[in-house]
Amino acid sequence: MISGHRRLRAVALVCSLFAGVASAGEEPPPPGPKDRCALCGMFVAPYPAWLAALVEADGTVRYFDGPKDLFRYALRHPEATANGAALWVTDYYTTHPMRAREAFYVTGSDVLGPMGAELVPVASLELAATFRADHGGERALAYDDVDSGVLEALE
Amino acid sequence: MRRHLKLLDFALASLRRRPLKSWGLVVVYAFTVAVVASVLLLTRAIREEAAQILVAAPELTVQRVVGGRHEPIPLSYGDAIRGLPGVMGVEARFWGYTYDAVTDSTITVMGASEGLQGLEMIEGRLPTTATECAVGAGVAEMWGAGTGGEVILVDAESTGVPYEVVGVFRAPSEMLTNDLVTMTSVEAAVFLGLPDGTATDLAVRIANPNEVDTVAAKIKRAHPDSRPITRSEVLRTYDAVFHWRSGMMLAVFSGALVAFAILAWDKATGLSAEERREIGILKAIGWDTADVLELKVWEGLTISLTSLMLGLIAAMVHVFVLGAPLLVPVLRGWSVLFPELRPAPFVDPYMLFAIAFLTVVPYVAATVAPSWKAAITDPDEVVRG
Repeated sequence: MISGHRRLRAVALVCSLFAGVASAGEEPPPPGPKDRCALCGMFVAPYPAWLAALVEADGTVRYFDGPKDLFRYALRHPEATANGAALWVTDYYTTHPMRAREAFYVTGSDVLGPMGAELVPVASLELAATFRADHGGERALAYDDVDSGVLEALE
Repeated sequence: MRRHLKLLDFALASLRRRPLKSWGLVVVYAFTVAVVASVLLLTRAIREEAAQILVAAPELTVQRVVGGRHEPIPLSYGDAIRGLPGVMGVEARFWGYTYDAVTDSTITVMGASEGLQGLEMIEGRLPTTATECAVGAGVAEMWGAGTGGEVILVDAESTGVPYEVVGVFRAPSEMLTNDLVTMTSVEAAVFLGLPDGTATDLAVRIANPNEVDTVAAKIKRAHPDSRPITRSEVLRTYDAVFHWRSGMMLAVFSGALVAFAILAWDKATGLSAEERREIGILKAIGWDTADVLELKVWEGLTISLTSLMLGLIAAMVHVFVLGAPLLVPVLRGWSVLFPELRPAPFVDPYMLFAIAFLTVVPYVAATVAPSWKAAITDPDEVVRG
């Protein structure tokens, strides 16, 4: 009986490795060379410094080539981001994954992402001020302040 | 299909009828291809080696410059740099050169903990005390000193200092380790005579490649006497140096190229009276102009493809098996050592294609054109001359 459970768990673990499934609490696994942006279809692996990810409540991982596309996807699919889904972006300065809701986003800077103008995620308002001093930039926004108007202005 | 094979057979037979001319052409042709391919293969392989070295290099190297000369950098600079956003780590590096009169070569001495990613220990370990050192495989071979042996190096005060060899290492690129001796950082600083509280340079790790130039600018602003060097600048310099060297070598050999071009043109275009008569006879016994042209294309292809293959094989043996003994003295030259350079085989298909295209196509065109002229004239006229 115990061994049966173990085998089941092992099978589940192996499946999760292949299907891009992660627990909502953990950092998303790094994307493979064939993973594409869930919004625009671009390959995401060549741009690790911009990677964003959405880990849904059931563990499905969707990758994005930048925070901009993550926000667009989240606005279009509110159901996907509800119920304990985790949103991840890549910190500009450390290039480590960080939670999207804890980051601050600088708009209008001279730093371009793989898809042009981007919301550049930094870990604190202080770093946002440093970033704006170095790279220009109009505003530093908290997660909840990024709405469709901000995204349209990036076009 | 049978017709084409017959024509090929005839072409080979006709080449065999004139062995001196055919082989003469092949030898000169192959030699030229071998020279050009050797230069290109070797520079390409050396650049690959350099790129391999630089993969492990830090994003930013900070030196201190006084009066335009590289001077030891105070460790306190590192503390300020560490606080800049985007900087993941700052490491002081202690390295320099010492001359070994016994083997008549320059040795690089380096503190063991820094910048040694990618080193593979063949035997033993890295040094942990002041009297120990580890040596690169090339150095070990040159001195005949393996683990447990002793080496004597001349320090900044011209004193011979004995060190016990506790390890031998190797890296993917031989250029990196062939002249390298490592000791503990503290001992390296003392050995090289660096003033207290200074290092040779600072290696700065930066996570985001977008931010490297910004960090470099900030360091320069905070410490105007510092010189931050980005990895891409180093790569560009290497590239420029090797491009320049290979260009220089090609210029030297361009005389050979021109000589070959003249020879090929002369041999190929100037149809001898005999060949013209042959074409006339073929026409007279019923060959079409197309048949004659195909015959000449086969001849040209046979000569040029054979030469190309022989030339490329010769170039690869020369560069990758023999270590390019004929070119190395020209190409490298910043250090006397590098006891043996064996570049990792690296062949760029694009380069092979370029060589093939630049030699085969003009040669075949040059052979076919005059034959066509002979083939469209009246056989009677051609045979009578």
